[in-house]
Amino acid sequence: MAAVGAVPSGAGLDPVSAPNRRHRSGLQRTRTRTSLLLTLPGLAVVVALLIVPIGEAVYYSMTNWDGLTAQWIGPSTYLTLFQNPTFWRVLENNGLLLLSVPVAMIVPLCIAAMLHEHVWGWKVFRSVIFLPTAVSWVVIGMVAARVFAPGGAVNGVLGAVGLRSLQIDFLGHEYSALGAVAATFVWSMVGTNTIIFLTGMSTIDPAIYEAGRIDGASRLTAFLRITIPLLKRYFQFSFVITMITAFTALFSLIFVMTGGGPGYGTTTLEFFLYQQAFDIGQFGTGALIGVVLFVILFGVSLAQMRLLRGEH
Amino acid sequence: MCYPFIFMIVNSLRSENQFLNGQGFSLASWGALFRALPVVTELLNSTLVCSAAIAIILVCSSAAGFAFAKLRFRRQAFLFLAVIGSMMVPVQSIIIPEYVNLANLHLVNNYLGPIMVYAALGTPFATFLMTAFFRGLPDELIEAGLCDGMSPVGAFWRVALPMAKPALATVAVLQFIQIWDDFLVGLLFLQEPTNRTITVGLGVLSSGRVISIPILMAGSLVSAVPAIVVYLTFQRYLVSGLTLGASR
Repeated sequence: MAAVGAVPSGAGLDPVSAPNRRHRSGLQRTRTRTSLLLTLPGLAVVVALLIVPIGEAVYYSMTNWDGLTAQWIGPSTYLTLFQNPTFWRVLENNGLLLLSVPVAMIVPLCIAAMLHEHVWGWKVFRSVIFLPTAVSWVVIGMVAARVFAPGGAVNGVLGAVGLRSLQIDFLGHEYSALGAVAATFVWSMVGTNTIIFLTGMSTIDPAIYEAGRIDGASRLTAFLRITIPLLKRYFQFSFVITMITAFTALFSLIFVMTGGGPGYGTTTLEFFLYQQAFDIGQFGTGALIGVVLFVILFGVSLAQMRLLRGEH
Repeated sequence: MCYPFIFMIVNSLRSENQFLNGQGFSLASWGALFRALPVVTELLNSTLVCSAAIAIILVCSSAAGFAFAKLRFRRQAFLFLAVIGSMMVPVQSIIIPEYVNLANLHLVNNYLGPIMVYAALGTPFATFLMTAFFRGLPDELIEAGLCDGMSPVGAFWRVALPMAKPALATVAVLQFIQIWDDFLVGLLFLQEPTNRTITVGLGVLSSGRVISIPILMAGSLVSAVPAIVVYLTFQRYLVSGLTLGASR
């Protein structure tokens, strides 16, 4: 996802350099036909089921669509949404969740640094730490709901370390519920990001560290001055993945863990969209929120591509 | 990291009372799970939907990836961007028009509906990976095939594809975990208890009637185990997929 702008170049086969022009153009035509034949299935699926629907979403976002009939209203629907205080309440939740993205990257960075040193048992640990990636958000949410419940593990730990005054029903209050969702999100992102950083670290030439050691750099200095700058691409990749997950993959976690509540406490844009369309039947508003979500993600992805381009 | 898994295993082996007391073990909850949910049917549904969608994704992404990487044709860059750029379309943004479109075609509560949606959602990233892989193959290999009188399709089928087995495995494993674990698409497109996938069956169970935690934990295990087994078995393919994604 990092380098969407990487257009194929130079790798294609040149047309056969036959002296006969007619023959050559004939072959060219076969090539074009073959290429279309090979790309057609993928193109058809993507156009019919992704590109056309996003166009429809833009159109229907300006109507009062209920799934059966739609009357044109116009771009003013966007103004109506932006004047709706609930929309801003929901967007605030998305913003607060974004604050956990750095945590979801720094923790795995430290873990990857330790694993890279090949501490005892690192292979087993690597398998274990990636495990949440294989488990569905439904299952994660179901366990997390118990962990944060009044008699759950978090309150148990708080009691054991003498912080009984902090014991609460985490999912029963707006901000603590959002915190619980964020903590669960961070927990399940640790695996993916650890693997990304480990991969990045394995591409760094050990000779660079050797040179640093000769120059008298401590391990910490080497980590800060060598590892971190060389991992830049991997930070960007991990940032995009983590951010997209925070915006678009938490629906099932929230559905199972809190149902969006209490109040609007854990309702994010994607959950709001589902509620508007499938609970209330306002398909037009749902499509509208979908377009807003798409624009936000597209903007951030473009910005990070620009960043990546700027360096080369 | 392991705590949630231990929590699931231990508590699924308790009855409701044993769970409340925190001691003793029994298989009562497992029995109750199989009475509360059509577990076997749902596992079969998940398997069917997953394998069909993965098959479509593999066909689409390997063919298109080969053309993008090894052939040269008009509007190539534009078409490539159209497919790869679709990666940025979040499911939620298209799910409402998609739902209405497929409902009009009577593809809701029909396995074909979710299969097509999963295939479309997986194809862009899979094509990205396959293009990256085919670009790594030397051009001379394909040229040699063409000189031996193969058509470009023949070169794809008999030269490039057999070499792409590891990449195909990576795509299949990544997509398997994604589709098996998905909730939203399944929730909307397969609504009957008998055609639901296991992940949706479980999610609906927990949000609906309040039922005992041990039963939910047993269900969680049933739904999680296939994906975990696939992950542990094919771990290296997953890692190589992420590597390819990050290094490009």
